[in-house]
Amino acid sequence: MAGDMMTGTERLWAAIRLEKTDRVPIVPQLMPEPAAHLTGTTLARVAADNAAALDAILKTFDEYGGWDSIYPGAYTPLQLQALGADPMKVRIPGRDLPDDYMWQLVEEEVLQPQDYDKISEMGFDRFYHEDYLARISNLTKDDVNREMGALLTTGVRFLAECDKRKVKPFFMGTGMHPFFTLSLMRSMVAFTKDLYYHPEPVERAIKRMTADVIASQIPFAKEFGLGTLLITEERACAYFYPPRVFERFWWPYTKQIVSAFWSEGIVTIFHLDQCWDKNIRYFCELPKGSFVLELDSKTDIFAAKDVLRGHACFHGDVPAALLSVGTPDEVRDYCRRLISGAGDDGGLILGSGCAVPCNVKPENFRAMIETGKNTKA
Amino acid sequence: MTEGLSDLILNFKRDAVLENVERRLGSGEDPLRILDDCRRGMSLVGERFQEGDFFLAELILSAEIFKEVAAIIEPHLSKANPAQTKGRVLIGTLQGDIHELGKNILVTLLRAHGFAVHDLGVDVPPPAVVEKVQEFQPHVVGFSALITTAFPSMKEAVALLQEAGLRDSVKVMIGGGVTTAGVRDYVGADFQTTDAMEGVAYCLNITGGK
Repeated sequence: MAGDMMTGTERLWAAIRLEKTDRVPIVPQLMPEPAAHLTGTTLARVAADNAAALDAILKTFDEYGGWDSIYPGAYTPLQLQALGADPMKVRIPGRDLPDDYMWQLVEEEVLQPQDYDKISEMGFDRFYHEDYLARISNLTKDDVNREMGALLTTGVRFLAECDKRKVKPFFMGTGMHPFFTLSLMRSMVAFTKDLYYHPEPVERAIKRMTADVIASQIPFAKEFGLGTLLITEERACAYFYPPRVFERFWWPYTKQIVSAFWSEGIVTIFHLDQCWDKNIRYFCELPKGSFVLELDSKTDIFAAKDVLRGHACFHGDVPAALLSVGTPDEVRDYCRRLISGAGDDGGLILGSGCAVPCNVKPENFRAMIETGKNTKA
Repeated sequence: MTEGLSDLILNFKRDAVLENVERRLGSGEDPLRILDDCRRGMSLVGERFQEGDFFLAELILSAEIFKEVAAIIEPHLSKANPAQTKGRVLIGTLQGDIHELGKNILVTLLRAHGFAVHDLGVDVPPPAVVEKVQEFQPHVVGFSALITTAFPSMKEAVALLQEAGLRDSVKVMIGGGVTTAGVRDYVGADFQTTDAMEGVAYCLNITGGK
C-alpha cells in the first residue's frame, strides 16, 4: 500500500507492544468458511479438505489486497476434533448437513462426572485420545494420524505461502482454556451444576489441564518462532458466571498460563467471546504487553480500552452481524470509530468480532480491509 | 412454608426443594399452590438477575430445579384443573443453524415463569413457523441464533407470517449472541436481546403477565 512506512509484521508487533504504528494493523479472523463463500467454493469442500481451505484463505487474501498477518485456519472440523480443539460431536456439510451449511458443534453431555478425575490422573491429551474421542467420533487411530499428517503438510505450505506474501501467521495452533474445554465436553448446563454442586473434581481437572496447556503449547510456539499463542474462552465471563466462580476456576489458571508463556517471551492472544465488561479489570494484573484481547463486539471495547490503555493491545471487533447484513458505509463508520476510539494511541489490531461470518457480504469485507488501510493512525 | 420453598430455590438447594415438594404433595396439598410457590421463587431469582446480583448460571440452576419440580407435580394436576399459563410462546432455531443451547435455556426459563412453550427445534424451515403459528396461536414467536446464517431464514419467516396475515397477531423476538438491533430491523422483528431474562420479561409484558 502506497504510503505505508512499516511492513505488516513491524506494524503488528508495534501494536502488540503498544507502540505507534503508521496505520492500524489488519488481521481479519478469516476461517475457511467465509473464505469459501468469498471465493466461490462450497463450504462442504473446505470442510472436507484443509488444503482447499488454505487455498480459499490465500485466494481471499490475494483478491482483497492482503493484510498484515494471516489468521491460521487451514483445518477441517474433523482435524479440530482429532486435535482436541473441538471436543464435541460435529455436524459437517456434505456429510451431515447440506453443502452450503456452516459446520456446527452439538452440545451434549458427553463428559461424565467421573471423567474429571480421569483427566487429573491421565492428563488431558491421553484421556482425550485413549478414552474420550471414541465417544464423539468414529475416527480410528489411523484416521487421527492421517488427519495430523494432513495438518502438518498444509501447515508447512501455509508458512511458505505466508513468506511469499511477506507476512507471518498471527499464531499457530488452536489453544483453549481448560474451563472452556470442559464446558464444551460436559455441556454448559451440566458443567454449571458441577461448578456449584461438585466443584472439587472440576478444579482438579482444570489444574492438571493448565499444566498440560503450558507444557504442550510453549514448545509448539518455540518451534514456529512466532511469539504468540492463542487461548480461546467463550463461557467464563460475567455474562455467564459470578465473580466468585471466575475467581476460583478461571482467573488463577489464566494467570499461570500467561505467566508461563510470558516468561518465554510469548504473548497470549485471548479470543474472548461474549460480554467481558465486568471482568476486564482483572487483566490489569497481567504484565503490560503480555497479552492481546480479541473481542467480539459484545464487550464494550472502548470502556475496556479505558481500563487497559497503555497496558494491552486489542484485536477486533467489527460485529459479525454488521458484516453479514450491514452496508459498506456502516462497516466503514464502525471501523473509523473503532480506530479513533480504541486505536488512538496504538494498541489496536483491526479485525472482525469473533470471526468473519460465512455469509459476509464481499463489499462489507472489502470495506473493512480498505478502511483499515486508508485511515491514518 | 411458602417462603421456605422460594428461599430454597433462591439458594439453588435442589435436593431440599425436591424433598419439600414431595412432602407437601404427600400431605395432600394442592399441587397448583406448590407450583405457584416455585414460580414465586423463580421470579425472585429473575429479580436478583435483573438487579445484577445473579448471573446466567444461576438462572440456569434455578430453571433446572424448576424443571424437575414440574415433572414431579405434572402427574398430580387434574385435566379439569390444569396449571394456568401466562401465555403461549413459539420458539425455534431456524434453517441454517442447528445450535440449541441458548434456545433451550430460554424455553426452560419461559416454562418456569408460567408460559406454555412450543419448541420447534433447530434448522426449522420458515414455512413450518407459519404452520405452527396457525395451530398454536402464540402471543410471541421467538427465533434464536448463534450464527449469522440463520438471519435470512428469520427474515423469510417474518415475511411469510405477513403474507399469511398473521404478523399482526404475534410479536416476534429474536435472540442469541450474534444478534443486534440491526439484525432485528433486517429481520423485521419487534424485539431483540442477548439476555434470556430480558426475553422472559418481554413475553411477560406482552401478555400482561407482569
